[in-house]
Amino acid sequence: MLDPNLTGLIGILLSIGVPTISAATAIIICGTAMAGVGTEKPELLSRLIITVVLGEALAIYGLLIAFMLISKLPSFKTMEAASKGLMAGIIIAVGTGAAGAGISYAGSSLIGATAERPETYSSNVIGVVLSEALAIYGLLIAFMIIGTI
Amino acid sequence: MTEMRKIAAIVFEDDIDAVIRSLGEAGIVQFVDMRQKLDEWKGTLAPHTVPTQIQTKCSEILSKIDASLKELNLQPGTASYEKLEIAHRRTEDVLVDVEKRLAELQIESLAKPSKFIADREQLLDRLGTMPINEKTDVGRKLLELRRLLDKEKRSIEEKSKLGEIREDLLTLQETVKAESQVAEVEGKLGRTAKTLYFEAWVPYDYLKEAMERISKATDGNCVVSEEPAKHGEKQPVIVKPAPSFMQAFEKLTFSSGYPSAHEVNPVSIMAITFPILFGIMFADVGQGAIFVALGALLAYFKRKIKLEEAGDIIRYLLIGAEMFILLGLAAIFWGFVFGEFFGPSGVIHPIELGRIGPFYIGGFEPMHEPMKMIRFALLIGAVHISLGLILKLVNTVRERQFKHAPIPVAWLWLLWGGLFMWSSLGGISSISRWFTEGMLMLAGLFIAPLLLLILFTAIAEGPMEGIGFGVEVFAETLSHTLSYGRLMALGLVHSVMNYLFLVLGGVEHGHFPPMSIPVVATGTILVLIIEGLIVFVHTLRLHWIEWFSKFYSGEGIPFKPFKFT
Repeated sequence: MLDPNLTGLIGILLSIGVPTISAATAIIICGTAMAGVGTEKPELLSRLIITVVLGEALAIYGLLIAFMLISKLPSFKTMEAASKGLMAGIIIAVGTGAAGAGISYAGSSLIGATAERPETYSSNVIGVVLSEALAIYGLLIAFMIIGTI
Repeated sequence: MTEMRKIAAIVFEDDIDAVIRSLGEAGIVQFVDMRQKLDEWKGTLAPHTVPTQIQTKCSEILSKIDASLKELNLQPGTASYEKLEIAHRRTEDVLVDVEKRLAELQIESLAKPSKFIADREQLLDRLGTMPINEKTDVGRKLLELRRLLDKEKRSIEEKSKLGEIREDLLTLQETVKAESQVAEVEGKLGRTAKTLYFEAWVPYDYLKEAMERISKATDGNCVVSEEPAKHGEKQPVIVKPAPSFMQAFEKLTFSSGYPSAHEVNPVSIMAITFPILFGIMFADVGQGAIFVALGALLAYFKRKIKLEEAGDIIRYLLIGAEMFILLGLAAIFWGFVFGEFFGPSGVIHPIELGRIGPFYIGGFEPMHEPMKMIRFALLIGAVHISLGLILKLVNTVRERQFKHAPIPVAWLWLLWGGLFMWSSLGGISSISRWFTEGMLMLAGLFIAPLLLLILFTAIAEGPMEGIGFGVEVFAETLSHTLSYGRLMALGLVHSVMNYLFLVLGGVEHGHFPPMSIPVVATGTILVLIIEGLIVFVHTLRLHWIEWFSKFYSGEGIPFKPFKFT
């Protein structure tokens, strides 16, 4: 098997790398859509910012888990602790990856629909918000695993 | 709550303009847009189309008036339009009259002198500065010319006619603008062969006045009836505007929806819970103080600057000035509780406010004891959701749907039962204990309220809805309560980001060496902007999604009476 230290460090890599990519995907797609809509109806933009900010929150969750793993770095001497760290990284990576995909699709559709019919905003925003909740679930589980290291 | 009545009236098409005009002057009714309701009236009513020439004529006349005002170098402004006798006339006739008056004013013949005025001013200037020799022929002729120009100048200036003309033009402008608005309202009505049908909402206090005005405008040739709102019909709501320091919260609430007729207006409660949740995530005494100072500065500028002239982002900041002060105060409070001063620098120590079982309220640093923080976050989440459920109960009672009333009660029981079970028996990791030792507790605190919830919903709506709602409540409660875990996540991230800058600056145990001040300052500015925005959006999301979904439908219609602007 791999060296325990390396395993732990790979966990940290995953915990900050993949959430950042997911956040970037969500922001790319939603930011592009917002810029497009902003040319036609600038007054809607202030409500639509929530998609970009929720996308950015994914990177924050990854950052949080990475911080906590780094603080546990000295205990990555046993394979057990190191594999827990690796798994925590994978969990947050998968969680934010799923959330990023959800936010990109739901967010860009939300922006397009709100541009045409602003009154549908409050129903459609649920898609974005529930996708972001998926990342929270991953965050909590990763958290609990790190708590047992 | 002001009671609203719906007026339904049938008037002749010749009188409709007079009616709309009269009601527009009073500004007391809100016309119902009949175009969307025409399906209900199929066979009896057809959509009424106002001929498009009216609007085009209005804009033509308005641009002519604008051009005339500019040609004569007159100031634009407003005037009362009662000068023309138009009360009982149709819009087309009024517009024809306006055009006639405009032609009478003979603007072109008056404009010519103003062109001469510019040339003459130039000539006078040159003559005035030139030294003229009176003894020569040319000199005497030039002096004569100068005297003539002076006389002409004074005679034109004495013409006070320009003032009158301005009044006339402005009156015509107001008239045409009003007629344009009348035509717009007219386009929303329904018609039969020779008559027009309209509905309008009016507050009960103004009901008599509105009906009198309709009778007067039609000389009694009308059929008018009124009725209170039918059960289940949406009536417009007049909401008292919130005091200035809650204005930002009002905008945030109403952009998600307007309160409907019997709903509690959540703005005043939001003004308390929003800063509290923001403060938990943004807990820091120093940064909170900066927020308060920023808010005070913005509030001071708000009185000096006119809001319309500011740019977009500045306008949002100015509107939220008092909100910043509230957020800052909450951040300071929770900063003291969690012992943060520009980060966990050790200058102040956490203060414990209390302890409820395994839930510690304060007395720990979030960065060092994240498990306590998450328990605290979930407790706050349960309290916030409970507040929403209590408001749901209040709404149900206000709408007199008493069969639905036990549902929020059962839901509250489920929520707190679940939380109590989790805190006493441990979480998912000890789920086996739940089904062995805690079976009785599980039955009493969890299964019983869930079954009651299904039962009450089944009584109120139907068995299928009952079971569906039960499953929905279970999943939703779990999901929404866990969602408050972001209080822990974002609070921790805030704490850790500040810690990063403290470590970079070399701050330890409450000593701020002079070299660290620029580093900490840079860090504070970055954190204020980035974390401030993120925490704000997440607090807003918690209110909009987790809180409002419990009690607020946001499907109300604001009462905007038709008034001439």
